[in-house]
Amino acid sequence: MALTLLCLSFVVFILLGVPVAFAIGMSCLLAYGVEGAEKAFMLHQTFGDAVMTTAAGAFQTMISGMNIFSFLAIPFFIFSGELMLHGGIADKIVNFARNLVGHWRGGLGLANVFACTMFGGVSGSPVADTSAMGGVLIPIMKKEGYSADYAVNVTTHASLSGALMPTSHNMIIYAFAAATASGMIGDNVIKGVSIGDLMFSGLIPCFWIMTCCLAAAYYQAVKFGFPKSADGVSMVKPFPGWGVVGKSFLQAIPGLMVVAIILVSVMKGIATATESAAIAVTYSLLLTGVIYRTLTREKLLKALARAAKTTGVILLLIGVSNMLRFQMTWLEIPEAMSDALLATTTTPWLMLLYINIIQVFLGIFLDMAAHILITAPLFLPLAIKMGVGPVQFGVMLLLNCALGLVHPPVGTVQFVGCAIGEVPIGKVMKTVWPYYLAIWTAIQLVTYVPSFSTWLPSVINSHPVF
Amino acid sequence: REFRSADVHAKDYPTNMAVAFMGDQLKTASGGKDRIKVFGDSMLGSEKDTVEQVKIGALDMVRVSTAAFHGIVPESMIPSLPFLFRDIEHFRKTMYGPAGDKILAAFEKAGFVALCMYESGARSVYAKKPVKSPADMKGMKIRVQQSDLWVSLVSALGASPTPMPMAEVYTGLKTGLVDAAENNYPSYDEAKHYESAPVYSETMHVMSPEVVVFSKKVWDTLTKEEQTALRKAAKDSIPYYVKLWEAKEKESKATVIKGGAKIVPAAEINKAAFVEAEKPVWDKFAATPELKALVQEIVNTK
Amino acid sequence: MQWLTAVNSRLSRWAMWIASACIIGLVINVDYGVIMRYGFHEAPPFMEEVALLLSISVAMFGASAGVRDAGHIGVDSLVGLLPEKPRFWVGVCAGSLTGLFALCLLIGCSVMVTETYEHSIPTLGISEAWRYIPPIIAGVLILLFSIEHLIAMFKNEKVVASWH
Ligand code: NA
Ligand code: NA
Repeated sequence: MALTLLCLSFVVFILLGVPVAFAIGMSCLLAYGVEGAEKAFMLHQTFGDAVMTTAAGAFQTMISGMNIFSFLAIPFFIFSGELMLHGGIADKIVNFARNLVGHWRGGLGLANVFACTMFGGVSGSPVADTSAMGGVLIPIMKKEGYSADYAVNVTTHASLSGALMPTSHNMIIYAFAAATASGMIGDNVIKGVSIGDLMFSGLIPCFWIMTCCLAAAYYQAVKFGFPKSADGVSMVKPFPGWGVVGKSFLQAIPGLMVVAIILVSVMKGIATATESAAIAVTYSLLLTGVIYRTLTREKLLKALARAAKTTGVILLLIGVSNMLRFQMTWLEIPEAMSDALLATTTTPWLMLLYINIIQVFLGIFLDMAAHILITAPLFLPLAIKMGVGPVQFGVMLLLNCALGLVHPPVGTVQFVGCAIGEVPIGKVMKTVWPYYLAIWTAIQLVTYVPSFSTWLPSVINSHPVF
Repeated sequence: REFRSADVHAKDYPTNMAVAFMGDQLKTASGGKDRIKVFGDSMLGSEKDTVEQVKIGALDMVRVSTAAFHGIVPESMIPSLPFLFRDIEHFRKTMYGPAGDKILAAFEKAGFVALCMYESGARSVYAKKPVKSPADMKGMKIRVQQSDLWVSLVSALGASPTPMPMAEVYTGLKTGLVDAAENNYPSYDEAKHYESAPVYSETMHVMSPEVVVFSKKVWDTLTKEEQTALRKAAKDSIPYYVKLWEAKEKESKATVIKGGAKIVPAAEINKAAFVEAEKPVWDKFAATPELKALVQEIVNTK
Repeated sequence: MQWLTAVNSRLSRWAMWIASACIIGLVINVDYGVIMRYGFHEAPPFMEEVALLLSISVAMFGASAGVRDAGHIGVDSLVGLLPEKPRFWVGVCAGSLTGLFALCLLIGCSVMVTETYEHSIPTLGISEAWRYIPPIIAGVLILLFSIEHLIAMFKNEKVVASWH
């Protein structure tokens, strides 16, 4: 009864257009209500008492789900990303990438991939990355002889690295969702997941995506002859000279340093992964406020307000997802799910294929944070049984979610990209396949080659990582 | 009826096995009417969360460390006082006896029915170097739980208490963010802390017990027979637990030694110096006459 | 409606100020903790608990503002396909559900305040009930904001966002 109500009401609320957080919250409240009624009957409670106990139980779970120290990294990363964007760091990164490879065939496309990957380490998420880099680059690309759909596809896909680079708040959300993971891989006891390990696990896949996006951008530039004028004349620009490249590099370096600062402060024992996010904010404030002096009072307030609102939206989602996790545990859904899947196959590669397919499918409808919070507890226990540890699974899940971000109907990154490029989603979808291929190969490598994601953290942190 | 019980440990951990055993006893006693279902692995939330769920009656029972009650029931701090127990025999005699019952009874006025306590061994300090006396700990950053008692306990030794979530401790020990941490053998083993801090000095400073707690709101709706059966099942689960716990502790100790940990045995520790340094902590946390009397009763038990 | 809009836009702006101040407080608190621990071997024990109280405030005030400025993520592409009349009523349904959620939040967290009143937060020594104050305020705010949205819908108007 509670289970049916939970699933059915969730689908109905989502279709009604209720924001995801409130849809999850309300359908969980219905499930809590059913159990509350049963319990009230058993304990001979009055109606009022039953409502109060049930609501208290539900919201205790919600608030405690939000009340976790690692989540501080979310406002911090969003805030520092906003500071970097409004403080002019984004422009400097674009400038450098453009000077470096802008003179090649499809040069601005390649520059875009570089810039997005670099800023991916600075911003907290692919959405931030797309709005920062796309906001600067897409208009320039359109003006200098690239089609709008090309400009948008390059930006949105290269931005997905924002989900895997060290400032990723989605990684923090995953670490929370996987905190209760437990099991054995070989002789190794698995218990939760370390954010420190996760931080390094995404770097190689990120590099892979960058390389594939570069290839895709180059391939399409050659195929369509970008950059070209409206009447088809090539518009390739001359190389500005190493002096200019060097100068723009020096200007971009302080902005890029934020990644290094985060990684070093964790590795040297100065701060925990969570605290390093506060250091990143302080650095961004000093850089934009004192050194560049690009940060006005107006811009600071805007960055603060946006950070607060985004944090609120994400943390509320996390809170209600904790209610959902509680209900799923109560109703024993993960066990039922895993039994059902195990009944179809016990071959690890096939099972992992199923998990990937389901995750990509869910990514069509769900936004990243909701996707992570809902699917990690469902599939991680199963993945561990198949020999895939929480770190490897995390990268796999983040990539699957990332693919969902550039997928209609709910592709947040695609929305942002298309809005900036002023181009309909249908047009973008026609030339998207080389980029999908790039993400897809990354997913396959992460799924079937464990060391692709686990080798780097295990070398750097010198202990086995799964 | 099915009572649902929460725990943060894995399904096969002694605490979970003991509560499940309690459930079996209860089922037999009630002729199959009452059962206990255990949710392990923090599935229903952290210790603090589940305690609050029990308080409002949304959850029936929970097994947590007494540390989770430090801010709720002052008496729960008493068994966590440093060097209160001379050895594990002393602990068993008092905590499974009248002094323990007094502590359990104190939960009632905070809205909980405490059924029984379980031992969880002795907590000791581990670091990259041996710790034999408080002098060795001077200036060391020691990871502690979020608790006033633990902060005072470590400060009293001249070390620097560093509260930090458990999940960050492994990396923290490795990178030197903290120099040491403290825990019992099974936690030292399961969190793999021996890989980052391989010297375990058996300071055995605290023997804080686990506690099984029932919701007062639910308890009051049970019949007298049900209540008696639950209390009896809880008491009966203690010997069963102790056997499992001893095996677990032994197994963990063997694992960490195999994993390369060096043990500094209790005999090499300057215990007198430690005890002397911790005296002010007793005065601070056993401040009222009632708490002082309770401490005295425990100390006087031979 | 006019007075509700006036009150709400003011409340929403106040919420923004508080949330922004809390973010700055968070940064200072965590930086202070890191400096004291790394530089002076004196980790402030209260750092984590203060940070948690501040972050719950940021989240709850930010989330309420998200309701007024329609910032929460939803799937409305399917609703967009409906003809005007049903689309209107679907919108009313969705708005009321948000309000209902806020009402439950208000009730649930008020009960939690009374239940945890006597528990104290370790290392801070203040009541655990403080943790549930920001969500109660958020419950009131979200309720007011969703009422404003509903009225605006019936009057065929739009709520003007008061945040950036
Ligand atoms: Na990032
Ligand atoms: Na999607």
